[in-house]
Amino acid sequence: MNDSPVPDSLLAGWRVRCEFPLPELLPWSGDDRAADLLIRTGEVPERLDGVVSDGPLLQVARDGSCRFAIQDVAAYFISPRGDEVIVAPASGPVSTSVRLFLLGSVFGILCHKRGLLPLHASCVAVEGRAIAFAGPSGAGKSTLAGAFVKAGYRLLTDDVTVVDVTAPGGPVVVPAFPRLKLWRLAMGALGLERENIETPRVEAEKYDVPVENAFATERVPLTAVYHLQRAKGAKPESMNRLTAGRAVRDTTEAIYRVRAGRNLVGQQALFRSISRLCSTVPCHLLTQKMDFERLDTRVAGLVARHASG
Amino acid sequence: MTGFYWLASYPKSGNTWLRLALRSLRHGGSAVDFSNEDSWIPNGAAREPFDQTLDVESSDLTAVETEILRPRFYEFLAKTGDEPILRKIHDAYVPTAAGEPLFPPAVTSGVVYIVRDPRDVAVSFAHHRRSSIDNTIGVMQNPAAAMAYRAGDLAEQLRQRLLTWSGHVESWLDAPHLRRLVLRYEDMLASPFDSLARTASFLGWEADPAAVAGAVEATRFQRLKAEESRHGFRENPVGEGAFFRRGVANGWRDTLSCEQVRRIERDHGRVMRRLGYSLTSANECAAEALLAQPYEPIDARSS
Repeated sequence: MNDSPVPDSLLAGWRVRCEFPLPELLPWSGDDRAADLLIRTGEVPERLDGVVSDGPLLQVARDGSCRFAIQDVAAYFISPRGDEVIVAPASGPVSTSVRLFLLGSVFGILCHKRGLLPLHASCVAVEGRAIAFAGPSGAGKSTLAGAFVKAGYRLLTDDVTVVDVTAPGGPVVVPAFPRLKLWRLAMGALGLERENIETPRVEAEKYDVPVENAFATERVPLTAVYHLQRAKGAKPESMNRLTAGRAVRDTTEAIYRVRAGRNLVGQQALFRSISRLCSTVPCHLLTQKMDFERLDTRVAGLVARHASG
Repeated sequence: MTGFYWLASYPKSGNTWLRLALRSLRHGGSAVDFSNEDSWIPNGAAREPFDQTLDVESSDLTAVETEILRPRFYEFLAKTGDEPILRKIHDAYVPTAAGEPLFPPAVTSGVVYIVRDPRDVAVSFAHHRRSSIDNTIGVMQNPAAAMAYRAGDLAEQLRQRLLTWSGHVESWLDAPHLRRLVLRYEDMLASPFDSLARTASFLGWEADPAAVAGAVEATRFQRLKAEESRHGFRENPVGEGAFFRRGVANGWRDTLSCEQVRRIERDHGRVMRRLGYSLTSANECAAEALLAQPYEPIDARSS
């Protein structure tokens, strides 16, 4: 349908051939392998055949195919093996909103399908070691990752940290794509300009900040996972190494699109992945005040812990 | 398949107190321990369970989109659950932009609606919001008032529309097809045993009278206050000042100005009467204001 085809791009190590441009991704610069993932626009059925999990937004069928939809934005079909995505925008061409959910929930589902463990975490590289900050929306993951970028460190991924737990030598983080999602106040605290920065959803004050120059494209061994928690009430800021049981529990809670994952790869397989991760990578509980202050100090403290090894 | 019991109230109306009493009752009337971090009767508008259940980041959705999806969220939890689900909520009983109730009657087993004299709510809510009483009275008569909205940042909870104080009360009291138990904060204070026993029975709990008495004792206001001073209270919004402050009825009488009382009664008088809250007479307020003036001997300054 297009005279000049869109160049292939890179997402979590995959060669992505997409019918429409994906400006959030870097161009593919790897070998001349066939595409790992095909993305095109097309028809997506209202109901899949043989639905085994029928969520409000996500259907999972017996053959492993999925349908995810956001009303008035788009419906997405994901093939059983996770090698093809069909996008049906609700109206008009593919917008930033359509790509937002493609690179959010749909991306998480693709990771599960393709044998990678997606965590709800942002991740930075410090001297060849990956440090992940996990937690629910609003826990301060992106802000902390942004503070690392500001201090000159490289970003591996924001919001979804893709881990290959089966890699020889231990779990490694596969870089996702070079974007930071930051709210207006966090951008201000990091001293970032908002001019020419997109907000994918018109109403929200959440910005999609490109960080190509600070992006790490190679796989980096995962050295630590910090589970972020807000310091509330009289609770002081603190950092504690989690016991084995607590680490497994908290990291399980941090699985991105966990309900989809349970349906697609099964509870057992997810548990094995988490156990493997937690048996080699130390997990900590990082309790911090949400005041945007002392970000530089926090970065320096964490760097000191990890740079020295 | 199961259903929801909603503990619904305007903010600062005794919801947390009732939740703590129910928790104690659930454990046979045991002592309240704020160092225990298990969440108990969580907020039905909490963001994380919504995100996990719907496989989406609500932070990527607009407030209107999120609200439209909330009935689906509750239906899904009811469909996949097997025990009655208790949730605290501050939302008014509003229709979503799609025109259906935010809390679907089909999956609602019952609503415990807790209501408190709006003159006391104004004082308590002002403390909670770290704002002035006048500003808070304005919020209470603003039909567009909402909780958990923060300009330029992400709130931990989904946006909750409150309507005005009167609008909130009547949205719940007049909603069709809902099984309801209405509790006044003042009655909970005056007869806590009876209030808690009625609530337990409404929720279908078998409550042993000794356990109810234990739960009432365990959640006496001074005990909650003491427990908060020991461990803090994690639901305290900014972690400064006390969440459990006074816990009295009619505390407004020594706090609100006549003008503030008049504003509240003008805005909400009709609904206050409906709930049996008597309005002040014009003379009463003026007289009280005079009595509240510090007594100053007329010759004090000359000495």
